[in-house]
Amino acid sequence: MIDSLPPGWIMIAGAIFLPLIPRAMQALAVLGLSVASLVLFWMVPEGNHGNITLFGETLNMVRIDAMSRIFGTIFHLAAIMASIYALHVRDTRQHVAGLIYAGAAIGAACAGDLITLFVFWELTAISSVFLVWASDTERSYRSGMRYLIIQVASGVLLLSGAIIRYVETGSLAFEQFTAEGETMSLGALLILIAFGIKCAFPFLHNWLQDSYPEATVTGTVFLSAFTTKLAVYSLARGFAGTEQLIWIGCAMTLFPIIFAVIENDLRRVLAYSLNNQLGFMVVGIGIGTELAINGTIAHAFCHIIYKALLFMSMGAVLHRVGTVKATELGGLHKSMPLTTIFCMIGAGAISGFPLLSGFISKSMIITAAAEEHQFVVWIILLIASAGVMEHSGIKIPFFAFFAHDSGKRVKEAPWNMLVAMGIAAFFCIGLGVAYPLLYRWLPYDVDYHPYTVTHVVTQLQLLMFAALAFVVLMKSGLYPSEERSTNLDTDWIYRRLIPGALGLLGTSIKAVDQSFRKDAIVVVQDTISAGRTLLSEQGVLGRTWATSTMTFWATVLFATCLVLYYL
Amino acid sequence: MAHSSNTETHAGDQSWFERPGNIRLMIGLLVLTCAGLVAADLFYENPHPHFDLEKTFGFQAWFGFVAFVAVVFLGRLLRLIIKRPEDYYDR
Repeated sequence: MIDSLPPGWIMIAGAIFLPLIPRAMQALAVLGLSVASLVLFWMVPEGNHGNITLFGETLNMVRIDAMSRIFGTIFHLAAIMASIYALHVRDTRQHVAGLIYAGAAIGAACAGDLITLFVFWELTAISSVFLVWASDTERSYRSGMRYLIIQVASGVLLLSGAIIRYVETGSLAFEQFTAEGETMSLGALLILIAFGIKCAFPFLHNWLQDSYPEATVTGTVFLSAFTTKLAVYSLARGFAGTEQLIWIGCAMTLFPIIFAVIENDLRRVLAYSLNNQLGFMVVGIGIGTELAINGTIAHAFCHIIYKALLFMSMGAVLHRVGTVKATELGGLHKSMPLTTIFCMIGAGAISGFPLLSGFISKSMIITAAAEEHQFVVWIILLIASAGVMEHSGIKIPFFAFFAHDSGKRVKEAPWNMLVAMGIAAFFCIGLGVAYPLLYRWLPYDVDYHPYTVTHVVTQLQLLMFAALAFVVLMKSGLYPSEERSTNLDTDWIYRRLIPGALGLLGTSIKAVDQSFRKDAIVVVQDTISAGRTLLSEQGVLGRTWATSTMTFWATVLFATCLVLYYL
Repeated sequence: MAHSSNTETHAGDQSWFERPGNIRLMIGLLVLTCAGLVAADLFYENPHPHFDLEKTFGFQAWFGFVAFVAVVFLGRLLRLIIKRPEDYYDR
């Protein structure tokens, strides 16, 4: 019976009762519910459970296979880490939102049909926006609104796609939507766009960099784990081997690294970095071979942990200093030494240093591209790897904790934040060293060995020479200085261009309308004054005429009638 | 959410990482590591190269350097186009 409930249900159900318990206990309850949910999740055996019939259609609410098991597990781990990180928070809203959000993401990752997926898909959107709004600023309110509109739109597209697909194929199953050699159907295309929005495809991406840095310190840690990786999971499930995704993914690995170079808000740098990491995964899905899909899933797993770690370290800085702007920071390694070490472990993991988690997962995707002889893709992924070293490997730790001393002396992060970061750092190292434990879980049997001489040496060459380039650029003054600025991205289109264009349209309609009205009034006024003149006592029509004139005109009238009669 | 900011300003208390001698030492070590990594290419052979480029000497070394510089310079170019005042959207 309990198998038929969607995994994560206990988190969603528990969240509803959370406001009833004392505020001081709520954070602990979030942690307890997350752990309990993980235990329950592992007790559910593989297979399809929770089949219900709705309007004559059978829905499969719970599907546990290798892929949903691994995503469900990492989502639980992320929820546990984030809730430890948030133990000091006394804000009921955030606890309820975080718990429902995590539970919904887990439920979605185990959905076997599109309707169940849709329900959880929208639930993640609606619950997560409160983590943005909880910052309680005008900025975060507006940003959250934009986020919500875009996320809900993704859900609407998913539902439309599901309905069209049902009409096309008679099935609501959440399975591979494309077949080799066939053109994509309309239903599948709509579903792809829905996934693409949440996966931050190029031009659909900017909600990510807009909203995540505006969320609360702890909220961003929750946000970084679920929405985008749920989209990666869904793409891997529905669109593996879709070739266009290779090129979409390549674009995603490249453009964010350039934006990240010049971004001043370090949490926004991490949001661009997250976008770049999603690119690697999307490339893997597009390649679609067993190695590539394994690599994508392994990378998503490792990525959730090190990205959470990086967001946690920057969150700790924000919590203590009150800002994460690179221009205001520097020299914090003296007052936050543990946070510095944890941040550097995360930075090393995302960059792919040997013995850390990124090394054993990202390389699977790059190797999969090489094995398919995709030279251009391979080169792009190498450039992207050097770019990751730039913004996440060097920029984040260097400008926050080293660089010029800002003179700020703060307390080390609270103990619970340090514990959460410690756990994440442990996993970053553990996965890098004991990688077979992760590989064993992957859906396909892998014959891939990350620690070859070639791989270790070439990867270190790439990273250390990138670091050398940083030193050279810094010493020569060519590295762009950190500057306070707003950098435009595609959000400019809907925050300035469209409102501007609508405003312009409005003013021009008003101008045309006004000139028409003015002309019309002039015509009416002229008519009235002409009538007045004609009909006045002296006017042609208004004055008293002589009888002879009347007789003359009456005669003319009769004569005309006669002539017309005889014609 | 309120961020607890209890910042005080200090100056002059240099840590190990800030002493000029140590910075030179770290840069020296980095250069030595890089030289060692390129030299390492002489002592092994890639058993499964996928592309000819992979077989060339020190490929990922110079490529990492060039890619890094290219990314940074593209960033500088991009800044010319998209940089606006910090309160751009608040006005």
